[in-house]
This record gives sequence, structure tokens and C-alpha cells, in this order.
Amino acid sequence: MQIFLTIVMFGSLFSVLTLSLNLQYARGGMINFGVVAYFAAGAYAYAIVTQQPPKGLDQYLFGLGAPWWAGFIAAGLAAMAFAFLTGRPTLRLRGEYLALTTFAFAEMLHSLLVNERRIGNGTVGLANVERPDPAGIGLSEGYAYAGAAFLLMLVTALAFRRLLASPYGRAIDAIRDDETAAEAIGKDIPRLRFQVFVISAIPIGFAGALYAMITTLVSPDLFTAEVTFFVWIALVLGGERTLHGAVAGTMALVGFQELIRAIPFESIRAAEIAAAAEDVLTGLLFILILRWQPFEVLAKRKQTA
Amino acid sequence: MSLLAQYALTGVVTGCFLILATIGFSLTRQVEGFLNIAHAEMLGVSAFITWGLNAVAGWPFIPAAAAAVVATALIGLGIGRLVYDPMRRLGPAVLLITSVGVAYVIAGVMHAIIGTGIRSLDVPLATTYKAFGLRITDYQMAVVALAALTGISLALFMNRTRTGLAIRAMSANPELAASRGIDVRQTSRATWLLSSGLAGLAGVMLALIATLSTDIAFNQILQILAVAILAGLGSLYSVIVAGLIVGIAMDVSVYFIPAGYRPLIAFLVVILALLVRPEGLSGKARS
Repeated sequence: MQIFLTIVMFGSLFSVLTLSLNLQYARGGMINFGVVAYFAAGAYAYAIVTQQPPKGLDQYLFGLGAPWWAGFIAAGLAAMAFAFLTGRPTLRLRGEYLALTTFAFAEMLHSLLVNERRIGNGTVGLANVERPDPAGIGLSEGYAYAGAAFLLMLVTALAFRRLLASPYGRAIDAIRDDETAAEAIGKDIPRLRFQVFVISAIPIGFAGALYAMITTLVSPDLFTAEVTFFVWIALVLGGERTLHGAVAGTMALVGFQELIRAIPFESIRAAEIAAAAEDVLTGLLFILILRWQPFEVLAKRKQTA
Repeated sequence: MSLLAQYALTGVVTGCFLILATIGFSLTRQVEGFLNIAHAEMLGVSAFITWGLNAVAGWPFIPAAAAAVVATALIGLGIGRLVYDPMRRLGPAVLLITSVGVAYVIAGVMHAIIGTGIRSLDVPLATTYKAFGLRITDYQMAVVALAALTGISLALFMNRTRTGLAIRAMSANPELAASRGIDVRQTSRATWLLSSGLAGLAGVMLALIATLSTDIAFNQILQILAVAILAGLGSLYSVIVAGLIVGIAMDVSVYFIPAGYRPLIAFLVVILALLVRPEGLSGKARS
């Protein structure tokens, strides 16, 4: 039961990231290899806004001690601001150049968080992050946060679906399908791409805040490029272009990892090998799916039938 | 002032290593048409084969290193044919993402075989030489010499041999090259051998000048990417310039700001460069 709850909690949480990435990549045609940066921006913004002012050995400068909802809103705004900052100069770059620059921005943020202790205690991070106590509404912590993550995922999915079904969404699709044609009928392509980039960063920021609440810790170690790769693998696993595919892929990947982690180990060496095997299997799965694209084939078959 | 000069000198060494590490990456990008994130893992593979033969099996360093370079070249060719070749029709973005999967597999296998912790080669400690108040170790000089040698022989290879010319033709215009009778598959295989072999060479250098641990490779990909973007993913000569710029910028920055910011400096240079010249130093317009 516990493991099921964990899967729902982290599965939903990371699904928010996959959904946003799906919007950027499958719809907007933008390869964002720095997803983790927006996630980290959200988590750090939440922690900084809700944290008590620094005392003792703390090296961070700001702790506003604000209530959790203020932190949550700040997280969305921070991710949005970071997307604004990074999107402006880079979105005119195409394909792999964009992938590389977003990756570079994420690494720069990571390096900044590690080295600039005044932001969040450097490598130590901010511990005991404030969070609302779910006892107030009569729920245990696990259920409450799993529920919150699920809710966030649902809201994100619905919001994106509304967006994509609107004329605005069709304009986005048009750009992806044929840029020249879209431009010919008067769509401002750079502007639309920039908007999609910024809009899709907001839920990632919210997810970051929720992640900080769940782990009650933010530290640079939690926000490495591995998160980015994880989300990309999940997206590919679920098959691109569909919202439920993105969610299913993330759930499957989180489930797979949690199951491997649940196996008890006799020795450190065995645990080490299992961790390595997890990487190898994840990588192989990833290559095989990209190679044969079973979900794409299925989707096409459905369309013709 | 002499400290600043010292940092600049160390920067040249770092730059030479980065050149060795990036040339193979750039070559793959030109001929195969995608960014091979797993390239950095090949450095790790080579470094640990060297370590295994040298420190565990007790071989002398030079034959161990030579064997590692050859083995890495063959492994690279194997991966290229097995994984990337059948997927080429899916386009560069998919191949880029696939190479992340390949990097995962290689890293996982290395972790399983070697485990975590720091290793060291069975070689004599570095000797430090002093001249004009600057210090340099013999291993650092070896890196610079090797980078220079590699650069020159690569330039000769690319300009004088049939295979080298075929590789250049392929990178300039694959369709035209094929229609002019260049064997595309053979050239592609030669490229995999060459680029992985260069990664192997860089890996040996890495084993020599850095502390060996299994996550060594991932830290390199960031700098390789920085050099590659700066060079514009195009010409091999611009890789040399870009490698030196990034290496010197990173090491000289230590004089002014905390050393932890070294990787950040690499990307700062890159982002500034991209804002001015979106296609990189070589300035070749490619989609």
C-alpha cells in the first residue's frame, strides 16, 4: 500500500513535468533539455518564501516566513520568470542548439545554487521546509500529498487540454506542422513559441513547490540533469503527443524504479549493482522504444481503423 | 601577476584536453548528423580500461593505454552500427535523445563492474618543472603534446587520405557525396572508429591528469558541449580555438571568483557567444 501511494505521489508529480514537456516538444517543437531548472526554481522559490529568517549557521539571506500558499504562488511565478529570462534569448535557436542552451542554463542554475550560499545554503540546502499540516482536514500526510500531486496533475492536464483545443492550440499545431504555411497566414511564430515556453513552465514551478513540501528539503543534489533525463525518458516511454500517454509513461517509469528500490539488499555491493542495473534497464528500454516506436505505430493503426 | 599567468597556463592544458575530448564529438556531429551525448561516456570507458589493464592486471602504462584506445574505438563502432545506424531515418532529435539512453547503459555497466570510489593508475607521481616562475607537470605537457600531435595528424588525415576526404565530403553534403560514388556505410564506420578512438585517447589523458571515479564521464559532457557549441558544431579547426578559449576562460576565472564557478564560466562564454553568433564560431549556417 505504501509503495502504491509513493508511486501515485511521485508519478503524478513528475507527470506534471512530462505534460509540460509534452506541450513544449510535441506541440511547440522545442527541445527543452533543462526542465530541471524550472522545477528547481519553483522548489527554491517556495522554500525561500516560506522559510523562517536565517539564524545560527544558516548562510542564506532571505527567509520570508510567509504562509505556504504564498510560497506556492511564488513557485509558479519563479519558474515563469526563469522561463522568460531563458526563453527570450534562446528561442530563436533551432532544434539541437536550443536543447544545448537550455541544458546549459540548467547547469548554470545548478552551479549557482551550489556555489552561492546566500541563496539556499549551498550544497547543504534548506532543510525542514514549511508545509501545511494535512491533519487539519483529517488526512494522513501520505494520502494528503499523494492527493495534492494527483490534483495538480489533473488540473495541469485539463488546462493544457483546454488550451490545445482552443483556436490558440490549433495555431500552435499549425506551426509545428508547417512553419512556412503558418507564417503565411499571419501567425507570429517566435511570439507563439515564446508564449508556449513560458506558459508550460508554470506548472513545472508548482510541481517544484509540491516536491519541496513532500521532501521538506531543497538542495542542489535533488535537481541534477538526471531529473531532465528522467522526464524525457518518461515522455518517450508514454509515446509523444498525447496527454494520457505522458502520464502513463511517467507512472510506469516511477513504478519501475520504486519496485527496484523496494527489493531488500544484503550488502552494499548488491545495492550498488541493483542501482547500476536500474540505469542499464532504463537506458535499454529507452533505446528499444525509440528504435521501434511501438506506441506511434499503435496510434497510427487506431487512426486508420 | 605570475599567479594569473600560472592559471592561464593551466588553462591551456585544460583547453588541450578539451580539444581532444571534443574533436570526436564534433566529427560525429558532422558526419552522423547528431549530438552524441554518450561520447563522454566513451572517455570513461577508455579511462577504466586503462585503469583495469594498468592497475589491476599490472600492464605497463603505454600498452594499457594503447589497448584502451583500440578497444574504445571498436566499442564505439559496435554501438554505432547496432544502435544508431538503424535509427538514422528518425532524425537528429530522436538520435540525440537515444544517445542519452546509451549513456545510461554505459554508465550503468561501468558502475556495476567497477563500483563507486576513487581509483588511481599505477604510474609514477607527476614531476613538476619550473620555468619563468610557472609550473607544469610532465603529464600536463604530455596532454599538450598529444593534443598538438592529434591536431596535426588529423589535419593531414582529413586533407591527404581517401577516407579523410570521404569523411569531409560526407559532412559537407551527404547526398552529393553518395551520388559521387563515396561509400556512405564505409565512411560512416570509419567515422565511428575515428571519433571513438579520439574519445579513447582523451579518456587516457583524463585517467592521467584527473581523479578517476565512475561519474567522471558525466562531468566531461558539460564541458564538451560547451566547446562544441562554441565551435559551432562545424569545422574541426574552430574546435581547437573554442577548446582553448573555454579552457583558459575557466581556469583564469579561478583568479577572480571561487573555483566552484568553473563550469558556470564555460557556459557563460557559450551563451554570450551564441547571443552574438547563433551559429557558433565557425559561422556556418546549418539547420
